[in-house]
Amino acid sequence: MAVSKVVMPKLSEAMETGKIIKWLKKEGDRIQGGDILAEVETDKADVEMEAFGAGVLRKIFVPAGETAPVGSLIGVIAEPNEDIAGLLAGAPAAVAAPAAPGPESRRPEPVASVVPAATGGGRVKASPLAKKIAAQSGVDLRVIQGSGPGGRIVRRDVEAAAAGPVWSAPAAATAPGSEYEDVPLSQMRAIIAKRMPLSKAPVPHFYVASDVAMDRASDLREALNALEGQPKISVNDLVVRACALALLAHPGVNASFQGEAIRVFHVAHIGIAVALEEGLITPVLRDCHAKSLTQIAVEARDLAERARARKLRASELSGATFSISNLGMFDVAAFSAIINPPEGAILAVGSVRKVPVVDGDAVTVGRRMALTISCDHRVMDGAMGARFLQDVKRLLEAPLRLLV
Amino acid sequence: MAAIRCAQLGLSVAAVEDDRPGGVCLNWGCIPTKALLRNAEVLHLVERAADFGISVGEVRADYAAAVKRSRGVADRMAKGVEFLFRKNKITLVPGRGMLKTPTTVLVGAHTIEARAVILATGSEPKSLPGVAIDEQVVISSNGAVRQERRPASLIVIGAGAVGVEFADVYRAYGAEVTILGALRLLVPIEDEEVSAQLARTFGGRGITIKTGVKVSAITRGGSGAVVETDAGRFEAEQVLMAVGRGAKVKDVGLEALGIAMERGFVRVSPRMETSVKGVYAIGDMAGAPLLAHKAMAEGVVAAEAIAGRDPRPVDYGNVPSCTYCRPQIASIGVSEAKARENGREITVGKSPFTASGKAVALGETEGFVKVVADTATGEILGVHILGPEATEIIHEFAVGRTLEATLEEMIHTIHAHPTLSEAAFEAMLAALGQAIHI
Repeated sequence: MAVSKVVMPKLSEAMETGKIIKWLKKEGDRIQGGDILAEVETDKADVEMEAFGAGVLRKIFVPAGETAPVGSLIGVIAEPNEDIAGLLAGAPAAVAAPAAPGPESRRPEPVASVVPAATGGGRVKASPLAKKIAAQSGVDLRVIQGSGPGGRIVRRDVEAAAAGPVWSAPAAATAPGSEYEDVPLSQMRAIIAKRMPLSKAPVPHFYVASDVAMDRASDLREALNALEGQPKISVNDLVVRACALALLAHPGVNASFQGEAIRVFHVAHIGIAVALEEGLITPVLRDCHAKSLTQIAVEARDLAERARARKLRASELSGATFSISNLGMFDVAAFSAIINPPEGAILAVGSVRKVPVVDGDAVTVGRRMALTISCDHRVMDGAMGARFLQDVKRLLEAPLRLLV
Repeated sequence: MAAIRCAQLGLSVAAVEDDRPGGVCLNWGCIPTKALLRNAEVLHLVERAADFGISVGEVRADYAAAVKRSRGVADRMAKGVEFLFRKNKITLVPGRGMLKTPTTVLVGAHTIEARAVILATGSEPKSLPGVAIDEQVVISSNGAVRQERRPASLIVIGAGAVGVEFADVYRAYGAEVTILGALRLLVPIEDEEVSAQLARTFGGRGITIKTGVKVSAITRGGSGAVVETDAGRFEAEQVLMAVGRGAKVKDVGLEALGIAMERGFVRVSPRMETSVKGVYAIGDMAGAPLLAHKAMAEGVVAAEAIAGRDPRPVDYGNVPSCTYCRPQIASIGVSEAKARENGREITVGKSPFTASGKAVALGETEGFVKVVADTATGEILGVHILGPEATEIIHEFAVGRTLEATLEEMIHTIHAHPTLSEAAFEAMLAALGQAIHI
């Protein structure tokens, strides 16, 4: 039997430390692979951490309420007769965790690797002390400038950031008559502020827009939603389904720039932007190409609800091959979105509006929706983006195809 | 150091010195006293040769020979500095320099012009008010380090590093030694546990220690000098004044140029520049701690600032402090008491040298390593070592603190076995509650 190390998973590209909100299993509990072990708070969301090994949760190193760096040992799953002394001895004195008892040292048993693949991401140069102070004071190391040798972040940088206006509690009330107030950045806003220029500046965007006749799609949706016992279908669900089908037909759009190569995906994992009070988050609906409209509707609703409740799982926060941002509920004619690297494109969806339409020689009322796709020019060209958009348009205008 | 670094950076350098180059440290301080302390250590070893099964017969220790050896060591090191000056094409100008303008220095009748001036006049021993140092009966470290005579009895006034080092040497050579300290503790800048244990050790060696004593008068009389204090009268052949050192700031030309002072020292910026542009000051005259290694670090900063580099300022919170009595004392950062006073939640780990195989094998088991760390982060706030080669062991902590390593990284550093440094390792484990050998 293998011993499974439970490590702090990397739940998002940007994650460096995670805080255990609570353990849902306690030491001594029997664990099956896939059981939810604990809830972890990351910079983005609260996520549930799944077990990768089976056995008994023998040891918890990082108690609830404490923070541990990504990849650090936070627990051990093993059979009761398994010798885990090596792991106990070698346990990190996790951040401020009570020290593990020190039995005679032993070499750790070979362990089955159960570490979820880290998704890469740039290394932040910071001293060990700076990292710990940052973890404890909630400062995001990626948004501060290091003053040490070679730009290394040292203690004073973190302390300055922790004390500075960006991270402190909201500044004292705005003086009466003042023309502005400085609202401190939330962690999420700070990450968006840091990440978006990393997309907009280095990724050469181009935009292709089209108007989609939504009359038939709207009728279909009304008919479907009138059915008893069926989940409600949103316009966005129709768009997701249409994109999933179109992405399979246009793999050039379902692609990512990898420096030396273009990675073309054969699956459609679609990120669906969800607006939150403090920013936005893009949970990923996986395998949309293989899901029915109903499945998409049910799962997308669940994702959005859990995103608002900050209850997303690790696997739901990264890995999209394409994204959709829909501002339709805000009576938006049209807009364009910023690509979320390493994805190659994002579709911006406007409102379904009633507009005058020329039908033969008469002017009638039609329902139209603006779609704007932002594409990474390193991955594809205008024609490719246009062909994809045409296909999405055709699917939405002949919506029965979304049902089969 | 400043002169050599300036030369290395391509500047044309003249050094003005009225003594030999190398400063107090090399000529009258650190280096020759370390030679004397080594003599005391060898003597101590020889005296306990029987512990190692070696019989040596009658031991005769010639103090004058020890001083001669010490001068030889200083001479050799001074020659080394002279060689480095030549190698780096530094012009050595003998004489006393006096700052005339920010860019001119007078040396006797000569005037030297320079783009920048680094002041490094150093310091000299202080005395008590009304007490003249004659270097006969009342001596300073300057006199003590070169006098070949070993007094039969000595009163050391001052319980700091200089006081305890000379007390150690003279006691090893058989003098009756009394230390009178003004503060409550021996080596008062050190951690209280270090002070307490050193006092016990010195007491065991027959050194009389009176602390918290106020000296009211020193007069000639008796066998040499009589020291009147609020704790009674003390008599000895000589009195060593070890009450501290003051910056040498007279007749340097500071006042005329309006160079700002602070508590008797020259005020400097993090680039070591004084209040007058182009005039830099380093070393003892630029303030505490009065240590050669701090001066050297400052010299490099000043040189690089003058050469147009962007030097990293000296980290005054991370200067190791070393005292070379037996057992040695080394420390860095804050004491346990100070750390508590600062309001941090701390954890303290201590490892005695009795638990170190290497120390037992050496027969030098006295002392301990004590680590004071922040509980929440594992930051190393202070380290206090009393024991064999303490002054060498301290550097892993200096490096760790410079790199902002926490206990966690430190304890994952494998320490060679058997070494004295294992005591440092063990003390860190102890601070984390993971000690193995104690």
